[in-house]
Amino acid sequence: MMIWIVFSVLAVAAALSVLVPLSRSGREQRETAAYDVEVYKAQLGEVDRDLDRGLISEEAAEAARTEIARRLIAAGGAGEEAPDTPTADAGSRPRARIGLRVAQALALVAVPLGTIGLYSVIGSPDVPDQPLQARLQEPVQNRSLPDLVARVEQRLAEEPSDGRGWDVIAPAYMRLGRAEDAAAAYAAAIRILGSTERRETDRGEALVIANNGIVGAEARAAFERAVALDPSAIKPRFFLALALTQENRKDEAIAAWQALLDEAEGGEAWAEAVRVELAKLGVETAPAVAAAPGPNRDDIAAAAEMTAEDRSAMIRSMVDRLDTRLSEEGGSTDEWLRLMRAVAVLGDADRLRDTATRAEEALKEDPAAVAQVKSLARELGVGS
Amino acid sequence: MIVEVGHFALILAFVLSLVQSVVPIWGALRHDQRMMAVAPPVSAMMFLLVGISFAALMMAYVTSDFSVLNVVQNSHSAKPDLFKITGVWGNHEGSLLLWVLILVLFGALVAAFGRNIPPELRATTLGVQGWVTAAFLLFTLVTSNPFIRVSPPPLEGQDLNPILQDIGLAIHPPLLYVGYVGFSITFSFAIAALILGRVDAAWARWVRPWTLLAWLFLTLGIAMGSYWAYYELGWGGYWFWDPVENASFMPWLAGTALLHSAIVMEKRGALKVWTVLLAILTFSLSLLGTFLVRSGVLTSVHAFATDPARGTFILGILVVFIGGSLALYAWRAPLLKQGGLFAPVSREGALVLNNLLLTVAAAAVFVGTLYPLALEAVTGEKISVGPPFFNLTFGPLMIPLLLAMPFGPLLAWKRGDIYAVSQRLYGAFGLTLLATLMVVWFQGPQQILAALGIGAGVWVIAGAVAEILSRARFADVGMSTGFRRLFGLPSSAWGAAFGHIGMGVVMLGIVATEAFQEEKVLTIRPNETVTIGDYELAFGGLVRRTGPNYIDDVGHFDIFKGGVKVAEADPAKRLYTARRMPTTEAGIVTFGLSQVYVSIGEVHADGGADIRLYHKPFVTLIWLGCLVMGFGAVLSLFDRRLRVGAPRPARMRAVPAE
Repeated sequence: MMIWIVFSVLAVAAALSVLVPLSRSGREQRETAAYDVEVYKAQLGEVDRDLDRGLISEEAAEAARTEIARRLIAAGGAGEEAPDTPTADAGSRPRARIGLRVAQALALVAVPLGTIGLYSVIGSPDVPDQPLQARLQEPVQNRSLPDLVARVEQRLAEEPSDGRGWDVIAPAYMRLGRAEDAAAAYAAAIRILGSTERRETDRGEALVIANNGIVGAEARAAFERAVALDPSAIKPRFFLALALTQENRKDEAIAAWQALLDEAEGGEAWAEAVRVELAKLGVETAPAVAAAPGPNRDDIAAAAEMTAEDRSAMIRSMVDRLDTRLSEEGGSTDEWLRLMRAVAVLGDADRLRDTATRAEEALKEDPAAVAQVKSLARELGVGS
Repeated sequence: MIVEVGHFALILAFVLSLVQSVVPIWGALRHDQRMMAVAPPVSAMMFLLVGISFAALMMAYVTSDFSVLNVVQNSHSAKPDLFKITGVWGNHEGSLLLWVLILVLFGALVAAFGRNIPPELRATTLGVQGWVTAAFLLFTLVTSNPFIRVSPPPLEGQDLNPILQDIGLAIHPPLLYVGYVGFSITFSFAIAALILGRVDAAWARWVRPWTLLAWLFLTLGIAMGSYWAYYELGWGGYWFWDPVENASFMPWLAGTALLHSAIVMEKRGALKVWTVLLAILTFSLSLLGTFLVRSGVLTSVHAFATDPARGTFILGILVVFIGGSLALYAWRAPLLKQGGLFAPVSREGALVLNNLLLTVAAAAVFVGTLYPLALEAVTGEKISVGPPFFNLTFGPLMIPLLLAMPFGPLLAWKRGDIYAVSQRLYGAFGLTLLATLMVVWFQGPQQILAALGIGAGVWVIAGAVAEILSRARFADVGMSTGFRRLFGLPSSAWGAAFGHIGMGVVMLGIVATEAFQEEKVLTIRPNETVTIGDYELAFGGLVRRTGPNYIDDVGHFDIFKGGVKVAEADPAKRLYTARRMPTTEAGIVTFGLSQVYVSIGEVHADGGADIRLYHKPFVTLIWLGCLVMGFGAVLSLFDRRLRVGAPRPARMRAVPAE
């Protein structure tokens, strides 16, 4: 409310600055020539002063006076023969009055309205000022992730040996897309709290992301340390295989990918990625080898031999299986997303919408997951 | 709320500028008193509104309000308070707002102090000023709005370009802008004269102080920028013929010409049409400078803007204003009455020579600056026009200018006597000869060019002194009367003399530095010493320091002369953490008029560092000379005759009502 009062005051003041001079009765106007005359008279005075001070000689002064006098006479003459320079105020003539009215109306209406119109398009009257000091004093629960990160940053600036702080802030950096900072934070955590498979892997991943997806030497060393700490860890080996692929060491890469794939139980998101990588290397792989929840090898083989109707019936039954399990036992974000994709394949929009709603409900604890569900729903054409 | 009030005020100012563009000029053409009377209060109001807007943005910077996009992009909460304020104009949007603020400030000044200007001329001038204001406000609002909000706001900003985090930035752009934009007033006066088809005697009289004011600030702005580049960029140079520098130098050359031709016009009524053209050209070059720097056509420190929409918009403004005003000139200039004949050898003649040389010099700089851009735009070929081009074109033009400079003020108006003037310059010529010979004697004949250059500087200075002394005529009237006359001289005469002396001083500085400077580039390890000039520098090693928003490696040097420690220098290599950008902070020690300059390059693991080391004799004269020139302009401004807004009622009575 206050803001509109201030706006009104400004707009009124602006309108008045146009209106007041327009409404005042015209004062007596001097002719333009009179201003010239004034200048020439002042010049004559200057000549006299210069002469008094002895700066110019008597002859020079006389010559200057003659010239100025000549211009003075010319200016006076011009004044007389200039009928288009009336001394009376032109504003009293009828035609001029119309112009005056237009200008007045313009000032009164167009100035405030034009401004408010323009402001309503490009202004943001609802956004309050938010000086940093005031924001920092707000209670914690009202703050967003970047705010919290900033607070931890402040603390770490004072106490850089707080390893737990680095451990906390590193994944937050990743979520904010600050991979380089995340890598540095993991490195600090490793230095202070010691090396673990998890920290090394995450640091490597951050380095890869910061490096536009290329596994550099430093990242590679991190993954190797992670594998040394836990030879069964999937993620570091995945990245090492990726490194081999990127280095074009094809045979070694294929072997590494295959080794990973052999450990897949089926349905893991990374296994899909491994297959994609293998396909790029020209290796055909059998799709997911696993029992529940995905279709197993036999199911697929069976599906290949079936008619279209039978096949869709089989898919439907598999989807139902997954659906039931997720509804009863709950599941991970990836599983819910997989279910949504599968439902979409069946072409049942209502069911898909229902699935999306249930997925959101089940995952409501995790805002990032809900966002993923929403965006997938949008992608599949049932989003709100 | 404050931010939004600023935004609203800016829009309101834009709408008012549209009123200002139409109503007063319409009134002037129809001799309507009331409509003309709109101009001054609206000018004042626009200044108030843009002032509110600027203050609001500054407030957002000072309080680190990151709900404003412009603040997010150019500030950081850890930045020192001073740079939070200067950061307001350290970016494209904010600097445009400053530009507009100065534009409306000049409008308000003319409204406030222009009571002696004929009302039609004043109304039209303010109306034209309204056009320029409207164009730039529209540009600001549409393409470069500093009041765009972010919701939710980030907690930290991206910091200001570290090169710009310097006290030099606090001073340089505002000075330069006052200069650039100050010429908008002379432009508006010129266009008003063309629209009204009349150049009054009052015209030249009231245009001159504005030109002088703009010129003063432009001179100081360029000098400041040059010194800033000298100590902040770490290359030890003071002028690079960089397009951005040229952009400010071209209006300076044209403005200097304008300053001189306005004298002829005021005193003798001659050169009217030419002066109007110069006024248009000077502001056109200012606009061009703004375009070059703002549109991002140049890749340089100064080119903050890289958005092509902005470039196109500015190009549009440029075409409309320059093209439009030149077309208007072609159409209306023949209407202006010429007056005042003069012989070739006369004060007028000398000033015409000055104008000729300065405008040709401006043209040379123009070609050197724009030719590479034009070539790249047309053929895609990239060439760079560097100092050799400018030394070959600009240099030779300056020689006759400097040689003729002492003659001009001594020549009489209308018809001069070159022989008599030469006689009065015997003393100055003698001094020049002496200075030249001394340089050759001490530095050897291979420095003959330097000797001639220094001779030229001495000639200009001595010539200006001779002129002032000859006006006092000590020989004819004796000591006491002579001194009385000397101090009785109008301050504009003193102003002119100081202006010329300043030019000579700059010349001395440039020649001495170019000819006699020593440069060393080397790698130095702790406890080693290096000799340059008469000085020995002992390197004490590097120390790491932490500043508010940067960390720097500071090298410590003790400077000895003849075994005695005379000074210390602490050059630094600085890393601004928010943008991970390094800068150099040169260590500069002044000895008298000379300087020792150290800057640190690469830092080695063993504690050593690559350094650039200079001994620059008399280098400070370059900037001191500019200050002297500026002092001259201030003196001229205080001349009684130019004082704008002199009391009116007393004079009113002196003019009989007709």
